[in-house]
Amino acid sequence: MGKVTGFLEIGREQPTRRKVDERLKDWQEIYVPFPEEKQKAQGARCMDCGVPFCHTGCPVNNLIPDWNDLVYSGRWENAIRRLHATNNFPEFTGRICPAPCEAACVLGINQDPVSIKLIERSVVERAWDEGWIHPEPPEEKTGQRVAVVGSGPAGLAAAQQLRRAGHSVTVYEKNDRIGGLLRYGIPNFKLEKHVVDRRLEQMRAEGVTFVTNAHVGVNVPVESLTDEYDAVLLAGGSEKPRDLPIPGREFKGIHFAMEFLPQQNKRCEGDTIDPALAILAEGKRVVILGGGDTGADCLGTSLRQKAKSVHQFEIMPKPPETRAASTPWPMWPMQLRTESSHEEGGIRDWGINSVSFSGDEQGRVKQLHAVRVGPPPAFTPVAGSEFTIETELVLLAMGFLGPVRSGMIEQLGLKLDNRGNVATNADYMTSVEGVFAAGDMRRGQSLVVWAISEGRKAAEAMNHYLFSKKEALPVSRRVLV
Amino acid sequence: MAVRNNNPATFQEYTDLVDEQSKHLCTLRGLMKLKVAEEPIPIEEVEPAKEIVKRFTTGAMSFGSISKEAHETLAIAMNRIGGMSNTGEGGEDENRFKRDADGDLRRSAVKQVASGRFGVTANYLVNADELQIKMAQGAKPGEGGQLPGHKVDEIIAKLRYSIPGVGLISPPPHHDIYSIEDLAQLIFDLKNVNPKARIAVKLVAEAGVGTVAAGVSKAHADVVLISGDNGGTGASPLSSIKHAGLPWELGLAETQQVLLLNDLRSRIKVQTDGKLQTGRDVTIAALLGAEEFGFATMPLITMGCIMMRKCHLNTCAVGIATQDPVLRARFTGQPEHVINFFFFIAEQVRQNMAKLGFRTVDEMVGRVDKIDAAVADSHWKAKGIDLSSILFSPTLPSHVKRRKTQAQDHGLDQALDHALIAQAKPALESKQPVTGSFAIRNVHRTVGAMLGGEIARRYGTAGLPDGTIHFRFQGSAGQSFGAFVPKGVTLELEGDANDYVGKGLSGGRIIVYPPKTSSFLPEESILVGNVVLYGATGGEAFLSGIAGERFAVRNSGATAVVEGVGDHGCEYMTNGVVVVLGGTGRNFAAGMSGGRAYVYDDRGDFSTRRCNRAGVDLEPLVSDEDLELVRGLMQRHIDLTGSPQAAWILEHWDATQARFIKVFPHEHKRVLGVARAEAVYISPTNGSQLVATGQVQHG
Repeated sequence: MGKVTGFLEIGREQPTRRKVDERLKDWQEIYVPFPEEKQKAQGARCMDCGVPFCHTGCPVNNLIPDWNDLVYSGRWENAIRRLHATNNFPEFTGRICPAPCEAACVLGINQDPVSIKLIERSVVERAWDEGWIHPEPPEEKTGQRVAVVGSGPAGLAAAQQLRRAGHSVTVYEKNDRIGGLLRYGIPNFKLEKHVVDRRLEQMRAEGVTFVTNAHVGVNVPVESLTDEYDAVLLAGGSEKPRDLPIPGREFKGIHFAMEFLPQQNKRCEGDTIDPALAILAEGKRVVILGGGDTGADCLGTSLRQKAKSVHQFEIMPKPPETRAASTPWPMWPMQLRTESSHEEGGIRDWGINSVSFSGDEQGRVKQLHAVRVGPPPAFTPVAGSEFTIETELVLLAMGFLGPVRSGMIEQLGLKLDNRGNVATNADYMTSVEGVFAAGDMRRGQSLVVWAISEGRKAAEAMNHYLFSKKEALPVSRRVLV
Repeated sequence: MAVRNNNPATFQEYTDLVDEQSKHLCTLRGLMKLKVAEEPIPIEEVEPAKEIVKRFTTGAMSFGSISKEAHETLAIAMNRIGGMSNTGEGGEDENRFKRDADGDLRRSAVKQVASGRFGVTANYLVNADELQIKMAQGAKPGEGGQLPGHKVDEIIAKLRYSIPGVGLISPPPHHDIYSIEDLAQLIFDLKNVNPKARIAVKLVAEAGVGTVAAGVSKAHADVVLISGDNGGTGASPLSSIKHAGLPWELGLAETQQVLLLNDLRSRIKVQTDGKLQTGRDVTIAALLGAEEFGFATMPLITMGCIMMRKCHLNTCAVGIATQDPVLRARFTGQPEHVINFFFFIAEQVRQNMAKLGFRTVDEMVGRVDKIDAAVADSHWKAKGIDLSSILFSPTLPSHVKRRKTQAQDHGLDQALDHALIAQAKPALESKQPVTGSFAIRNVHRTVGAMLGGEIARRYGTAGLPDGTIHFRFQGSAGQSFGAFVPKGVTLELEGDANDYVGKGLSGGRIIVYPPKTSSFLPEESILVGNVVLYGATGGEAFLSGIAGERFAVRNSGATAVVEGVGDHGCEYMTNGVVVVLGGTGRNFAAGMSGGRAYVYDDRGDFSTRRCNRAGVDLEPLVSDEDLELVRGLMQRHIDLTGSPQAAWILEHWDATQARFIKVFPHEHKRVLGVARAEAVYISPTNGSQLVATGQVQHG
């Protein structure tokens, strides 16, 4: 452990963020660098618990006390090795993970938890700066071939693991750029894309092949994968958004968040969006329906696009300021969260149900009619609390129901579970032999860190599977070890 | 969560998980199945939970290792439900012995007597319902338990009769127990001090524990505790935590069988512990022969422990295993939570009892026939396991009972103390001075202890005014002469004594000298036996003669003058003053961390050959304070015993002063802020000079 009495002497500190008025002017990341001495001091707060609840709080089971101590002792190179042992992409999680590890931190029982996420990011950024992160191509190849569908964090993690295990890996991405939600979805001010590119460069150097504009099941026949590859991993995400089929839904200006956010990512890459299709918040009164992270992303994006005003409505009641009694430590707390976007502006409100939209003569949305409601499960409308709000842009950020079924899922005839996600056994294999699933496609909408965990575990399962199949390969394709 | 919200369903979820895990981990109990009765008994007919919880105790966790808040919460909880909590090896603050204004009692029912004898005074012993001799224990830090110096604050030092900041080590063995007879002696000593208390002996599961338990039962202990290999403090080294010891199932089964086969079972209660976690664990323990059940890990967890294993660093973030006031303020445990836990367990036991067909726990004890010996085929490694020796039930005549049904005969009615107490009546009742004269023989053991208990019960630590009771004895005293004698009692013996003189001396005075008509030289003759003043916490001993080995071992505050000692004198001493007017054996002052000794080194070899200098500085007797102390003690020694040796030394003081060596422990110096000596003082018997440290071979 770092300093035995560290947690008694040093308080939790987080890096400051750029001033709001400054950061609203651009799309760059909102963080201010945190000095090394302070990083080490935060590492010193770790108590190196005999039963480290952070390990199990973290979906990738990061060896957190280990690298906290290494940071405290200034052993940065050892720290990145320890971190990479469990997490392929600490630079992603270190920026955008909600940190369930911190929720499970023992210090958090009666004090502020250790700043684990900050330390994770410090370790990986230091490693990149010092040039300690090199490609790790496999020394021996197995001769077996794997296809990964989807280049989000789950697909990428699996691809890197499988490649390092010696298999030949090709990643198919339907979009024009690699990254899944990391590229198109998460705003640049939370995750700049050169961070993604940097990691992809490492993966290319390790020998992973990427194919873009390849939509399996649409312009790439799914059989071309199942026939030609020894194993296939489906990591296509959970993209079907929850809709709001209320009167007036058909008015123009009502869009899913995932129609809106990727456009801004593209603009940041330098692309031009066809004006006819462009969704922009500039000068508009924006209403975001959905109080989660996606909604917050819409908020920050709308403010930077110089919206006239932004409201964010959520149907559930306002969560408590401190951890709810129903989610005691070490569970992920039901608690009010204020994201960076909320600091930047906008008005949040809870317990609101949308009733209908009104439009103008051109068929564009003009107003949202809503009512306040009581708590779940009844959501009883509160009498006399109906209200109307003027709006020109409504963004639906109410969650995702499951993977898109048409296309490869239907074509393969994959069984789905009772929540509509691709069903797998304990070894991540779907109902079709040799076809695996991981990430949101299997779990339903979740976090990047879970996706990485899924990708890694699926890769391990696939590796076993491939090894067991090796004996059945014709001699010419076996690699003698 | 279950105990904080008083939710039995959540608790059931937890115990189901644990019982399931027990199977996977292949604990012995995980491999057992309960044979349910064909006709289960209606649950209403099973004895109520509030009776069952009286069989529960919490384990020995000292105040010192855990915080005041944690320790008292446990005591309050157990006292409310009629169970017992345990002091551990740390002494106890006497203001806990009386009920609080709100009706709660913070007194620990079980008072442990462990190898360090920390805080074991007469008053401590009489305020107990059970006195537990810890013969063996689970994984511990240090040699037999260790409280690091940074955890010993003012209060803890006071209760343990030690010095703040000085680390406290418990020796591995009890220095007064080297055979089963010695153990019987200690049991007898404790029973004399507090005849109403049960005397318990704590053993651990190991091959042969049955034989030891049989010895313990024959030695008249009232309870034997068989402790298993699980649970234990987070302060221990990981190697000990993981690899020391055996499961309680083995030890308990062996104990039950051996006691039954020798018809010793009915005289003694059998208790077991070792991370019992669920009602099923308790049920199996009862079926294997236990009547009482100890829990330590679980009650701590109900008070908030999250098993950080930082107990030894004094940084327990939840205020349990720490003395740091900042952290203790974060303690959130409540007696109600602890009580909830025990009632949950009791209810689960009742469910099992109903299924098994038992109405009372008494019926259940030792009923191994209710356990299925066919090992569940859950794991390929379990296939070779044969549980039949654990589940063996000897065929016995019907008068041999499977549980305790009769009391031990402690032989107290033969104690000499009855005469002493009768004589001391005016002193006991109204503090009037009394004297008396008694013949003593070596069958009179533990003389003074029962009288001491009577005084402690009435007058607490304060005892009686000095010299209120002055009894004279002629003859050879038996073992433990003057044990646990409190303030106000002076025992004067003309003759000699055996081992354990002044054991646990609690403020009284002991004077021993050879018969006036004897012709031998007292300073050359053995007067008293081994392990004199073991664990003494206060008082005085003036012994005109030579003592045996381990003189004043674990002395915590008594003053003694003696004219020669054997090996290991003042071992592990933490406080007090010892003056030796003659030669010592080897290894003097080993592990000594406090107090002072003054040795008259007439042979000139103390510094080089006799003293264990690892933890002490050796200095000349020069300061005014020291001179006054030593001369004063010698004068009193002459007044009380007529010692010729002391008289001669004082008469020739000009020459003899330089032969005194002051033994001053480093730790004590550090705490007092006294600088370390730069050189080792060697007394000039042959005109040799001061020799600098490093040039002299360690003796």
